[in-house]
Amino acid sequence: MNSRISYDVIGFALFAGVILFGVPAILGYDAFELSTFSRYLSLAIVSMALALSWGTAGLLNLGQAATFGMGSYAMAMHLKLKASGESLPDFMGWNNVDTLPWLWVPFQSLTFTLLAGFLIPAGVGGLIAVFMFRARIAGVFVAIITLAFLVAFQLLVINQQGFTGGQNGLTGLAPLEIFGWVVDIYSVSFYYLVSACLLVALTLGLYLTHSKFGLVLRAIREDPERTRYFGYNVASYETLIFCISAALAGWAGMLYALVLEFASPTYMSVSFSLAIVIWCAVGGRESVLAAAIGAILVNLAEGRLSDVFVEGWHLILGVMFLLVVMFMPRGIYGLIVDAGRALKRQGSRAETVEYNPPDALLSQNRES
Amino acid sequence: MDVVFNQVFAGLSFASILLIIALGLAIIYGTMGVINLAHGEFVMLGAYATWALQTYAGLGVVTALPLVFLAVAAAGWIIEKVIVQRLYARPLDTILATWGIGIIIQQAVRLGIGPDSRFVQGPQWLTGNLQIGNLVMSNYRLFVIAFAIFILGATWLLMTRTEFGMKLRAVIQNRNISECYGIKAEKVYSVTFAYGAGLAGIAGALITPLFSTIPTMGTGLVVDAFLVVIVGGLGSLMGTAAAAMLIGEVTALFSIVMNDTLGRIAVLAGIILLIRFRPRGLFPSDTRR
Repeated sequence: MNSRISYDVIGFALFAGVILFGVPAILGYDAFELSTFSRYLSLAIVSMALALSWGTAGLLNLGQAATFGMGSYAMAMHLKLKASGESLPDFMGWNNVDTLPWLWVPFQSLTFTLLAGFLIPAGVGGLIAVFMFRARIAGVFVAIITLAFLVAFQLLVINQQGFTGGQNGLTGLAPLEIFGWVVDIYSVSFYYLVSACLLVALTLGLYLTHSKFGLVLRAIREDPERTRYFGYNVASYETLIFCISAALAGWAGMLYALVLEFASPTYMSVSFSLAIVIWCAVGGRESVLAAAIGAILVNLAEGRLSDVFVEGWHLILGVMFLLVVMFMPRGIYGLIVDAGRALKRQGSRAETVEYNPPDALLSQNRES
Repeated sequence: MDVVFNQVFAGLSFASILLIIALGLAIIYGTMGVINLAHGEFVMLGAYATWALQTYAGLGVVTALPLVFLAVAAAGWIIEKVIVQRLYARPLDTILATWGIGIIIQQAVRLGIGPDSRFVQGPQWLTGNLQIGNLVMSNYRLFVIAFAIFILGATWLLMTRTEFGMKLRAVIQNRNISECYGIKAEKVYSVTFAYGAGLAGIAGALITPLFSTIPTMGTGLVVDAFLVVIVGGLGSLMGTAAAAMLIGEVTALFSIVMNDTLGRIAVLAGIILLIRFRPRGLFPSDTRR
């Protein structure tokens, strides 16, 4: 177990080095390229948030995009109000809304917005989690309930045109202003803001997965019934990780709305939600770091390849995803772990023939 | 009052299409526990097969039905053999894999045939309406309702009155024990998957005169159909039928009181509540799990 922590710390340090120094150097501190890359980094946060609930606790949340969207709308509402100044946001006028809706009023405050970006998704995620896990709903049904919630929530946002901008979303946003610093998304400092957020989120994720809390979550993933017999309150653990995951998704959403300078109901679409699952699966759902890297790699590939194969890109993505699910269910992370283990075994075989039954037996049991 | 009657008929028409799609899904889910998110794409394939048969061979929608059924069933059979069969031990991963299959089929059709909408002519002998008082019922929709009932009956006969149905029910109840009795579960799975896919193809063929035929047409349908399966209960044909009726009618009737979107949201919320309190559906069958 200790060696696993040190590997993760080394991996994290390498990753941080690449993100903080390598990427800006390779991109030549080009403001436009860095802004594109900070988009990938904000998506990496939502991917690692999914790894926390899916990879660690085995709860496949297909509604991750809903909490992501809440975060992005929270940020966009604040910026929209700022852009409109004293008057009402423009789309409200088109929809015959005369006074500022009560839902919008508190978003005039930046502090409230930043808190709401975490707390509203966490609260909603918590409510759904309590609702599901008190009834011991698990496995496929978690996926279906969260999916149905996502579809309903997106429909609601599109339908309430006067409050949410409907299908168009919230556009024409003002730049964010924190402590007198006006955030320019085409700047190196903005890139460092987003990477700092990602690194903090990853630190939190790594801490959680290596703590006792993470151990209990893995136990729940393997066998909830047995964990319950050991005296753990499975529902509370599941609810807590669901809340944390939702809060991180909301955080990612806030950053994403900043980078793209608009919020749109497509952030809450089923296909976006499943795309998050793809990134997480490609990187490796068992490790938060791998899930983040998966998101960056897939989006990077999408950015580069979709120029070359404009038409066929989604086909390539589909085939790639299918192959990952079928042949490398643990993602790139699984490949690396297996390779490392094989190397180690070869090294130790040269000296003494080491018999390593528990691991082999465990993996066999899991297969059956 | 006329509005209500017309909405009841619209709900019935929607329910009949949902039923055919959901039946295939229910059989696949009930038998193998596979959530087939590519089912909507099978519907889409059925619609495109109908379009191709009408454009190039001059067949009508109804005459094309058996061919469409066979074609889509063959596609389903191949997909089961090559991909789904490897994933039975990992049910959550089948959601992801079948979604991947869905993307691939959808994009392949988009690249091969084109993204724009295709038009399919409804059958000549079913044009016109049946009118009772102020209730207007299109003949074609009536035909679809009748055909859905026929499919339900045929599936029921297949499940309860044939040797294959007996094997299928045995495998649903306990795969290991049935294999001890010499039933080849893998073969049963393949045929079941193909049959489910074929039903989706038929649904696709039947909706061509009502919906526009585009590569993304299946995506919305599969969510609805899947909710029907969950509400109806695992492995229960009559449950699926009742749930299709319920969801079709409730959606139609809600949209009188509220608008369409809010009606759908209300239905989704109702379904979430139902799964929470009756995760085995309204009409669970007595299988042991």
